[in-house]
Amino acid sequence: MNGKNLLRLAGVAIAGLAVAMAISYLGDKAAGENVSFTPERNADLIDRGAYLAKLGDCAACHSIPGRPAFSGGLKMGTPIGAIYSTNITPDATHGIGRFTFADFDRALRYGVADGHSLYPAMPFTSYYNTKPEDVRALYAYFRYAVAPANIPNRVSAIPFPLSMRWPLTYWRWLFAASPAPFTTPPGLDRAQAQGAYFVDGLGHCGECHTPRNVFMQLKAVRRTDGAHYLGGAVIESYFAPSLRTEGAGSLRDWSEIELTQFLQTGANSRGIAFGSMSDVIIHSTQYMSEADATATAHYLKSLESKDQSDASFTYDPNSHKALKSGDASAEGARIYLDNCAACHRPDGRGYERVFPALAGNAVVEATSPESVVSIIFQGSATPRTSQTPAQFTMPGFAWRLSDFEVMQVANFVRSSWGNRGPRVTLKDVERLRPGPG
Amino acid sequence: MTTPRKLKPVDAVIIGYGWTGAILAKTLTDAGLRVVALERGPARDTSPDFDYPRIADELRHGIRGELWQPLAAETVTVRHTVNDTAVPYRKYGSFVLGNGVGGAGVHWNGQLWRASPEDLGLRSHIEQRYGKHFVPPEMTIQDYPVSFAELEPHFDHFEKVCGVSGVAGNLRGTVQSVGNAFEGPRSDQFPTPALPAIYAAQLFEKASSELGYRSFPVPAANSSVAFTNPYGVRMGPCNLCGYCERFGCFLYSKASPQTTILPILADRSNLEVRTNAYVTRILKDSAGTRATGVVYIDENGQELQQPADLVVLSAFQMHNVRLLLLSGIGTPYDPVTGKGVLGKNYAYQMFGVTTAFFDEEVQINPFIGAGAAGLRAIDDFNSDHYDHTKQGFVGGAMIYAGGTGGRPIEQMLLPPNTPRWGRAWKAAVHKHYRHSAPITLMGTVMSYRDRYLSLDPTYTDKFGIPLLRITFDWHDNEYRMAAYTAAKMEEIVRQMKPESQATLLLKPGNHYDVRIYQSTHTTGGAIMGTNPSNSVINRYSQSWDLPNLFVYGASAFPQNIGYNPTGLLAGLAYFSADKLKTSYLKSPAPLVSS
Amino acid sequence: MAAVSRLIPTEGAGPGAIEAGVSEFIDRQMELPYGHGSFFYLRGPFHPESPATLGYQLRYTPREIYRLGIEDTNAAARKIHGMDFARLEAAHQDRMLESIEKGLLELPTVPASTLFAQLLENTREGYFSDPIYGGNRDMVAWRWIGFPGARADFTDWIDQAGTEYPYGPVSIRGTKA
Repeated sequence: MNGKNLLRLAGVAIAGLAVAMAISYLGDKAAGENVSFTPERNADLIDRGAYLAKLGDCAACHSIPGRPAFSGGLKMGTPIGAIYSTNITPDATHGIGRFTFADFDRALRYGVADGHSLYPAMPFTSYYNTKPEDVRALYAYFRYAVAPANIPNRVSAIPFPLSMRWPLTYWRWLFAASPAPFTTPPGLDRAQAQGAYFVDGLGHCGECHTPRNVFMQLKAVRRTDGAHYLGGAVIESYFAPSLRTEGAGSLRDWSEIELTQFLQTGANSRGIAFGSMSDVIIHSTQYMSEADATATAHYLKSLESKDQSDASFTYDPNSHKALKSGDASAEGARIYLDNCAACHRPDGRGYERVFPALAGNAVVEATSPESVVSIIFQGSATPRTSQTPAQFTMPGFAWRLSDFEVMQVANFVRSSWGNRGPRVTLKDVERLRPGPG
Repeated sequence: MTTPRKLKPVDAVIIGYGWTGAILAKTLTDAGLRVVALERGPARDTSPDFDYPRIADELRHGIRGELWQPLAAETVTVRHTVNDTAVPYRKYGSFVLGNGVGGAGVHWNGQLWRASPEDLGLRSHIEQRYGKHFVPPEMTIQDYPVSFAELEPHFDHFEKVCGVSGVAGNLRGTVQSVGNAFEGPRSDQFPTPALPAIYAAQLFEKASSELGYRSFPVPAANSSVAFTNPYGVRMGPCNLCGYCERFGCFLYSKASPQTTILPILADRSNLEVRTNAYVTRILKDSAGTRATGVVYIDENGQELQQPADLVVLSAFQMHNVRLLLLSGIGTPYDPVTGKGVLGKNYAYQMFGVTTAFFDEEVQINPFIGAGAAGLRAIDDFNSDHYDHTKQGFVGGAMIYAGGTGGRPIEQMLLPPNTPRWGRAWKAAVHKHYRHSAPITLMGTVMSYRDRYLSLDPTYTDKFGIPLLRITFDWHDNEYRMAAYTAAKMEEIVRQMKPESQATLLLKPGNHYDVRIYQSTHTTGGAIMGTNPSNSVINRYSQSWDLPNLFVYGASAFPQNIGYNPTGLLAGLAYFSADKLKTSYLKSPAPLVSS
Repeated sequence: MAAVSRLIPTEGAGPGAIEAGVSEFIDRQMELPYGHGSFFYLRGPFHPESPATLGYQLRYTPREIYRLGIEDTNAAARKIHGMDFARLEAAHQDRMLESIEKGLLELPTVPASTLFAQLLENTREGYFSDPIYGGNRDMVAWRWIGFPGARADFTDWIDQAGTEYPYGPVSIRGTKA
């Protein structure tokens, strides 16, 4: 290729880029609906908005401890650099004080604010279905009931050229669902529909529980999209389990009452929330009305997968018998006794809603080793909620156990008491060991 | 120092954030008051402070006392008689003082007893049963101004708050076939079932039954099952870990303010807890009729004044008395004239232990069991549960079996003739460690004219403020009581058929010895009574001098009981809290006319 | 520190203080706040003549007790045997320790019984504490007496009291034996 051609090609490329940027610019400008609405200071509307903000768990990203609520600043690591959540208080300079209702709706459901596309860390691809009356309530809440905070937004630490936002528009066009207010999906009863509205919408459950493809796009956003929908996904070093009723240990074995209890308190006789679900319980689902929580449980129980193995967990007393008679010869058994048994008990049954049972625990048995290994390394704390004021903490054992020992003890808990989790490899453990600090 | 900077007034200030501080913080914030709690020590919580396995460290906690009040900053002085010069308690021994959020309620053993009905009306009861002259003149015991029946609902509530494990011996007046037949009537069962007996306790159970005594599970503030208390706070069950007394509980099982009450207070916007806040005095108005707040030194050494309408003094027994003395509230007790009440009736507990040394076939496993968990006791010789006509002493002792842990540095039990070092010692620790069991008596101590608390004229804390001075030694009544009950204890141990046994007991001529750990159950000094001439506080724990000052803790006990004091002092605190709620907060005034 | 090897000697069954690392334990403790006396109330005036039952009444920190006590002991050893304590043969060391224990040997600064009590206390601490502090190396002392260390779980022994406990000890750091 001679210099002239190269120059020409570069020219074409630049022109193409300019066109692409222009299109994205126009696209962002054109996003959303041009509805106007000025909310009254109506207490009921504001209360509803406050409740919905909790369901949407806006605070999870937009509030950080020690700073005014919703003033942003939460650092979120992405593969291309850190981004920071923004100030969504009604501050006119740094917040969303100048947002019209249409601006607000555009950000919430379309992922466009200030004329450019938002990083999909903002789960607008889930919020897309929010009903207009609920968007209005949210708007009223953020406008009237949140205190303005004069705190500037932090710019992202993503280096150029990745810091250019215009490609996000294309991402959005390609992958984001077209925003449309929620309508009852066919075949659901009223309560299921109410649950689906939360699960698919403000609850944005799929953001963690549905796997993503290479473009970070959720593989499914609706129940009709197939088995990937809420089918379980690896999130950093944890595995967010499937929310479908599948084989043994899945939500199939949970009653709706147990599921409701879990949403409201983060714990039931089957398990205790860990990882980022703990935060979801603390900041969001514990506030769900009885009706919403029950409806959510009801809806999730309706998600059946074809892959339903008949086998259910059967407790095998032999692992415990061995430990109780002084036999810790099984791989990892002695490590279990020396690190885990004090709380989870030698019989693996734990203490209900205090220290979770490991026997028959879907997290322990999950195909993915992420959660069990990460919890051993990092520990976990149960969510504190208004109904469960006591918090139980498991300390991390990264300082005390070698990778090899973690592998052994993970395999012990995955294969004892009737558990049938696949083996954890040393590679898995090495990959999941947290970095220093 | 310069004039303390004045902070924004609050409705109530709490001094000391242990058991009674937490109980009152809940009561007052429930009522909507703006409350500040001042705690001299650091913030502490189960995680990370008591995390497994780091908590399982005898040297750090059991010996060096990580959770205890650092004596370097403040201690007490001790002397045996009024005529001696007191010297400082320089190293821990006889008792250990709590420090930090949760106070000694973090590192206690968890034996949660109620007082016997006889204990509360002690003087009247003794005089009625044995005649006016049975109580010797130097013995200054008096009735608690509150009855068992009045306290019962509060004992019951506190037991539920703590998830206490045990078995009722007297249910609504009916003596049961199990449990403590000598206890006062309970309105309800224990909230959680008794923990099974550890092996030493099983041997004791069998031996005492053969001798005609009915042993029963020591009420243990270690829940035996996962349990949710009346405040919605969930607790884990005890696994007999062996790290209880002197340790924080990693299992969320042993009741402490952290595991029972503080979780519901954590988010209250009307409560602020300030740690490392060392209160140096309670302030009074110019007329001396009301408390106006407190002065404290914060962690930066800055002196601050916290004005408050209500002052709750809920520090440890000794600190309560010291602070009242330092603040000039009430008249200090004078042992010569008998005038004044502040500092009067300091008492302690009598202690004795018989160790059973078994042969190597008997697996005592002393490391199994914790604090109060898995212990068994008899109460036949406690309080006035038996006829004292011919005994010539007042009081008695509860006798319990099983250690509070098998910590090898401190709790190694060896026959008395064992050399303290060398080859023979090394052989003995091997032979005896796993096969020895202590049986302990915890005895009453009466109050006396010449046993009291005052400010030390010489020694000061690190800020130059006078230390508290203890004037204490044993009286004959206690030696006699100990000899009598120890004989009963030895008889039971003989029946346990050990290879050998040995008793450690104080006899006449043995002075109070601060070097040996005996008990942290120190009592009195700000006692309760029926009028200002016999007490510092009234039946509702309200100061006679300043009606907006309430004082909680074992400082209120006119004389000591033969049980661990937490159940009684918490009962008194809840009794008072109830009165605050129903009466005082509506119209603050003296609750008993003086 | 030759004395610790006599307090818990190597000879006879079971580990001695030397194998257990007690000397290293004490050396390390003396560098910590404990050794510097931070755990004790050390304000004057001092009344060492007080009854023994009123407890420790000297002005010295643990490290000072050792420094002064060892100096004095060596001086005494030189006077009696012509050499420092550490160089004495074991039987002489034992005899000297006995007289220190019983207070028969008069030391000019720190009373002999105080020195002995401090030494015995720290030796036992170093023998039985968690290996994290440098003593009880490889948990030898715990194995010797049958103490399971930091396991802190006996759920399975609640209903089988009286049976021999089968497991060896574990340390805070997680080493097992």
